[in-house]
Amino acid sequence: MDATVWLPVLVLGLPFASFVLLAVVAPLRRAGRAAGAVSIAAIAAAFLGAVLVWSVGFTREATWTWIPADDGPTATVGVLVDPLANAMLVLVTLVSLLVQIYSLAYLHDERPPSLGRYYTFQSLFAFSMLGLVLSPSFIQMFVFWELVGLCSYLLIGYWYARPTAARAAVKAFWITKLGDLGFVIGIVMLWAATDTFEFRVLFALAQEHALAIEGLGTIMFLIYLGAVGKSAQFPLHVWLPDAMEGPTPVSALIHAATMVTAGVFMVTRAQPLFALVPDVLALIGWVGAFTALLAATMACVESDIKRVLAYSTVSQLGYMMAAAGAGAPDAGFLHLLTHGLFKALLFLGAGAVIHAVGTNDIFRMGGLFRAMPQTGVVFIVGTLALAGFPPLAGFFSKEAILAGVWEADMTGPFLMLALTVLLTAFYMFRVVFLTFFGRAPAAGHPHDPSWTMRAPLWVLAALTVLVGLRLALGDVGAHHGPGWLAPLSVAAALGGIALAWATYQRGVVDPGGLAATFPFSVVDLLARRRYGLDTLYAGLYRGFLLGFSRLIGWIDRYLVDGVLNFLSAWTLRGGDLLRHIQSGHAQDYVYGVAFGVLLLFVWSQWWPR
Amino acid sequence: MSLTAYLTLAALVFAIGLFGVLTRRNAIGILLGIELMFNAVNINLVAFARFHGDLLGLVFTLFTIAITVAEVAVGLAIVIVIFRVRRTVEADRLDLLRG
Amino acid sequence: MTLETAGFWVVAVVLLASSLAVVLTPNLFHAVLYLAAALVATGVVFLLLDSPFLFAVQLLLYAVGVMAIVVFAIMLTERLVGERITQTSRHLVNGGVVAAGVFIGIAGFLIRVPRSLPRAPLVGDATPALGRALVGPFALTLELLGVLLVVALLGALYFARADE
Repeated sequence: MDATVWLPVLVLGLPFASFVLLAVVAPLRRAGRAAGAVSIAAIAAAFLGAVLVWSVGFTREATWTWIPADDGPTATVGVLVDPLANAMLVLVTLVSLLVQIYSLAYLHDERPPSLGRYYTFQSLFAFSMLGLVLSPSFIQMFVFWELVGLCSYLLIGYWYARPTAARAAVKAFWITKLGDLGFVIGIVMLWAATDTFEFRVLFALAQEHALAIEGLGTIMFLIYLGAVGKSAQFPLHVWLPDAMEGPTPVSALIHAATMVTAGVFMVTRAQPLFALVPDVLALIGWVGAFTALLAATMACVESDIKRVLAYSTVSQLGYMMAAAGAGAPDAGFLHLLTHGLFKALLFLGAGAVIHAVGTNDIFRMGGLFRAMPQTGVVFIVGTLALAGFPPLAGFFSKEAILAGVWEADMTGPFLMLALTVLLTAFYMFRVVFLTFFGRAPAAGHPHDPSWTMRAPLWVLAALTVLVGLRLALGDVGAHHGPGWLAPLSVAAALGGIALAWATYQRGVVDPGGLAATFPFSVVDLLARRRYGLDTLYAGLYRGFLLGFSRLIGWIDRYLVDGVLNFLSAWTLRGGDLLRHIQSGHAQDYVYGVAFGVLLLFVWSQWWPR
Repeated sequence: MSLTAYLTLAALVFAIGLFGVLTRRNAIGILLGIELMFNAVNINLVAFARFHGDLLGLVFTLFTIAITVAEVAVGLAIVIVIFRVRRTVEADRLDLLRG
Repeated sequence: MTLETAGFWVVAVVLLASSLAVVLTPNLFHAVLYLAAALVATGVVFLLLDSPFLFAVQLLLYAVGVMAIVVFAIMLTERLVGERITQTSRHLVNGGVVAAGVFIGIAGFLIRVPRSLPRAPLVGDATPALGRALVGPFALTLELLGVLLVVALLGALYFARADE
């Protein structure tokens, strides 16, 4: 096995080894910080490996038989390394490493066994996400897809004693499971039609136009459903805001940079297949743009800082999907990478704020810039990047997406996305102004966090700036589009910032009055009620699913068990009745014999007829 | 008389003996019924031996008579012992085999 | 009507009547006496079937021996001598039905026997032939029978021993 094979396998294997070690060796896990050290060491080594793989930049696929069959294996496991996967490798390992270091300080109040559990799950997650990224086939991707979902459940519900957290974990699991259902059905249908799971084979078939199978559109739509669930597209986006019940580092890692981007990654990876079904692509584009706008409106009325960021993530995921739908997957992927950086930065910064102030409510914060200058600086850097301010990274990737959507002649999505730019700037700076500026609340002595938490923040901020500069200097996959696009997006961003400044900093515009005027009042009303989706899902769950469960339960208890109970009761009754044959009187037994003889007579005389 | 007549006679005695076994309360009464049944069997055997000219039936009858005597002896000994222990020979009272 | 036929009918009537009496009479002692009559009648049936030896055996072993045993047993199993030895029967109808059923079953076979099966011609006295058979082909059986009788004797002795 040459280096091009074992190096990616090593990157994949190190977090797995850490997970197994922590899972099996209970004393190590229960030691808390020691577990953290093991996990961090593993992911740091994996990060180095990933950087090495990325810098060399080779393309290689290596597979081993998993499910053997007569003519070629039914399924294989292996690694597929190419530029797409390499970039994800670096992103995943980098953000994992930073988050795990950050968690040491953020979760230092936790009891050691719980902390050990946390790091075990972190290692498992790193392994699962890397496995997903390196998958050479749909089926391996699906296995890791589910594993990632499991880790999300475990980590959202990390504080499982809290009922809201437990509920949120289950909700995330259920909603993504809906999407996964479509995903697996699509994969199997594709396999039934083409007899393979492997990307390489499928893409080759697509190239040769040999993939003109019946219902390819349906199949690809079902596969897309998996991305809808995992990447929180409308209408399966409702789990992501609730997933903020988990610790903030977890939100930074899996609900900003890595797990939720798995859907985008999958769509990008399967682009040759999606390109064959333009209708599905158009749907992806529209849904993505709509999701972006919808989530942005909901972020404008949120008061929990993490939920604002969660809706922001949903919105940005919509951007990425819209790009993929417009046939510009490179733009979407670029945004995935840049967004991973600055969204993680924002989440970790928000975590520092929450850690210092003790509340998530932005209306109870204020004037924190004075108390936590470093946090404030990095947070503002991240916000500017998210709002799409040049020359930070977010500007280039957002512009590339807008350009791609415009050039695909998708006007509706383009307008939605452009409006979202304004809204993004608005709600993010709303948070900034309310949190870091203005009057400080009376209680508490907030201060900048320890360097274990600060270092990852500075690293991410630096990378955001550097990547932005790199994109500004060279043409690295960032598409520029028509000339008026850049000024338009910058103007929209500035407009949003100005509006936020006017409303929240200067108090010139009254937010309540603004929200009351039509058409904002309608949007405000709907946004505050999350567009009724949560209620709808809850109603469906309680009404349909639980009702169905009750029915099944009744059938199980009364019909299935009933039959068995009936049989057993009658066995006992029958035994009771038959007991009287054993009367103990010998004469009764003679009756029996005589009766038997009679029967024999009857049988012998009538039977041979 | 034909063979059938003898066989019918034996069958009747057998049925009467069976009736006695089934209905008598006293254990010795039951044994009397069993005696009748044995008798019927013997009549059958001898009739067949005569009508087929076969000696085997007679030999068989001899043996069954001897065995019956032994059986009656032992059976009545058991009845006496039961009487000694339980002070009764009513078949209805002897239900230790009860399930 | 030949002598043999008339004899058969007479014996048949006696046998059946005494059998019925055995099973129906309430007094046990009377039942034993009726059984003795039935046994003698059976012996006469043997005589009608040209086996005088068996007639003798029947009378000796059954009518005398077994009856003696039974009488002794009855005497030993009643509380007081002189008390009327009575007993009633139970479930007469059930027993009657089953017994009748068995008879009908057997009769079903008897109907199929061809009507006039002639008697085999008499080839001299069967008794010497019987004796030769007993010490010839059936010698082993005879010896086993002896063993059986010894065993039965021992068993009866054991049962009848005094309590310790």
